[in-house]
Amino acid sequence: MPTLNAPEVSVLEGHDALPDFTTSAYKDAYSRINAIVIEGEQEAHDNYISLGTLIPEQAEELSRLAKMEMKHMKGFTACGRNLGVQADMPFAKDFFGPLHGNFQIALREGKVVTCLLIQALLIEAFAISAYHIYIPVADPFARKITEGVVKDEYTHLNYGQEWLKANYEASRDELFEANKANLPLIRSMLEDVAADAAVLHMEKEDLIEDFLIAYQEALNEIGFTSRDIAKMAAAALSI
Amino acid sequence: MFGLIGHSTSFEAARRKALELGFDHIAEGDLDVWCSAPPQLVEHVEVTSPAGITIEGAYIDSCFVPEMLSRFKTARRKVLNAMELAQKKGINITALGGFTSIIFENFNLLQHQTVRSTTLDWQRFTTGNTHTAWVICRQVENNAPSLGIDLKTAKVAVVGATGDIGSAVCRWLTARTNVGELLLVARQPQPLADLQSELGGGRILALSDALSEADVVVWVASMPRTLEIDNNSLKKPCLMIDGGYPKNLDSKVAGGGIHVLKGGIVEFCRDIGWSMMEIAEMDKPQRQMFACFAEAMLLEFERCHTNFSWGRNNITLEKMDFIGAASVRHGFSTLNLNKNLQAAVA
Repeated sequence: MPTLNAPEVSVLEGHDALPDFTTSAYKDAYSRINAIVIEGEQEAHDNYISLGTLIPEQAEELSRLAKMEMKHMKGFTACGRNLGVQADMPFAKDFFGPLHGNFQIALREGKVVTCLLIQALLIEAFAISAYHIYIPVADPFARKITEGVVKDEYTHLNYGQEWLKANYEASRDELFEANKANLPLIRSMLEDVAADAAVLHMEKEDLIEDFLIAYQEALNEIGFTSRDIAKMAAAALSI
Repeated sequence: MFGLIGHSTSFEAARRKALELGFDHIAEGDLDVWCSAPPQLVEHVEVTSPAGITIEGAYIDSCFVPEMLSRFKTARRKVLNAMELAQKKGINITALGGFTSIIFENFNLLQHQTVRSTTLDWQRFTTGNTHTAWVICRQVENNAPSLGIDLKTAKVAVVGATGDIGSAVCRWLTARTNVGELLLVARQPQPLADLQSELGGGRILALSDALSEADVVVWVASMPRTLEIDNNSLKKPCLMIDGGYPKNLDSKVAGGGIHVLKGGIVEFCRDIGWSMMEIAEMDKPQRQMFACFAEAMLLEFERCHTNFSWGRNNITLEKMDFIGAASVRHGFSTLNLNKNLQAAVA
């Protein structure tokens, strides 16, 4: 049985230091992470506009959410520029490819629940957790921008959460299905980004746990039991 | 509502429990999977005290296992995330059980009050150390006489005397009992000297010297794995109260006049309908629990929503009196030798 060892702990505590934002290794990793964030905000904008066609009575609200995403996209574009980094957009398009594809299929089939799960729960929970972990290790400029963004993203997560809560009984089965089909994609996206995120001092373990906390919290609010949620979340834990 | 933050005693035990609860996928995962698993509120309970007060509580498993201790950031995250969950669930007072409070203190988590968008409200948490210290003292007073040890002439060694629980035990034994002599054992000399002058007595000794002289040994320090105790060097009879965490003293000594008692454990007067105490490997999991957990229940019974035990060396005799009286009033008794529980009447 291990026991606590104070000297060892104090050595390990030094790990929270900020990365050197000027190295080529940092900038190289940032070119992909920054692109993912920019692409993510762009897709979120498009997705909320599309959702407005499925829920016409809320089109106005969704368009308001979409506008916020565009504002975020501009903010993150400025973060890259501030560090002198060119975002690797083709990489980001590939990164979102499978999830984007699933959203488009659900959209064509008029599946509001699946679309909301992908955009308003999965992507928003992913973004919230990543932004929270990024903030303490970000450069001062990006930190300020990201702190502003993260507050908005809760509004978006909340939107999907409230809609699904109000339609819980009717959405339940589709949510199970959509979770099964899409949560593994989020997990592999986390895997794909892990090495670059580590260069930015963001650890995979933290990203996964924080994502799951945000996602589980949303599922809990919607009405799922702890056991349902643990089963659903398991798809993200095991690869 | 009261809350308890706990964890399994080992990775293997955690997997077994997860299987039992129907969390198959997580149960099958390796340690890395568990490192990324978020805390879970696993059950709600309702408890009614003999005083007629009913309270509700929740058990949160932090998904921490002792195998994660070498992963500093993981251990820190597990504790903070579990605390955040407790607060978000609106729990008034939550006890930090097992390694949770040890990690909180040793990893200096007071510096990490912000968890994502939540600012932790320390008032909602307690280490439970005041109740633990009181229970250990009562265990000394209740059990030494049954072994023929007269506390008035006995030498009582406190190993880990300068810690939060250890120093409280020393204060109580000095002020409230007539122990023959207090033997003070700890690693650092200066805090030991400070404690001795605060107590106005007690003799500072090295561990091996204290062990060979003591009639009663109170262990409230984490025990090095490599520590070996020579049974022949101990007095017989000798009462050893294992108040540390994890409780592994009986694997090192016991038998032949050496009586090891699990320290800081209490038993409630009736069954509590929970399943989670099994992971703490209690003999009677429906009734027995760590005194630190019981402290959260007591504070809820007493509607005393404050971080009653917090920081180091803040445990006063008055606080021990308060929690001790509450413990008796609400139907808790201390664990005693021979599994015969005596009411912890002061």
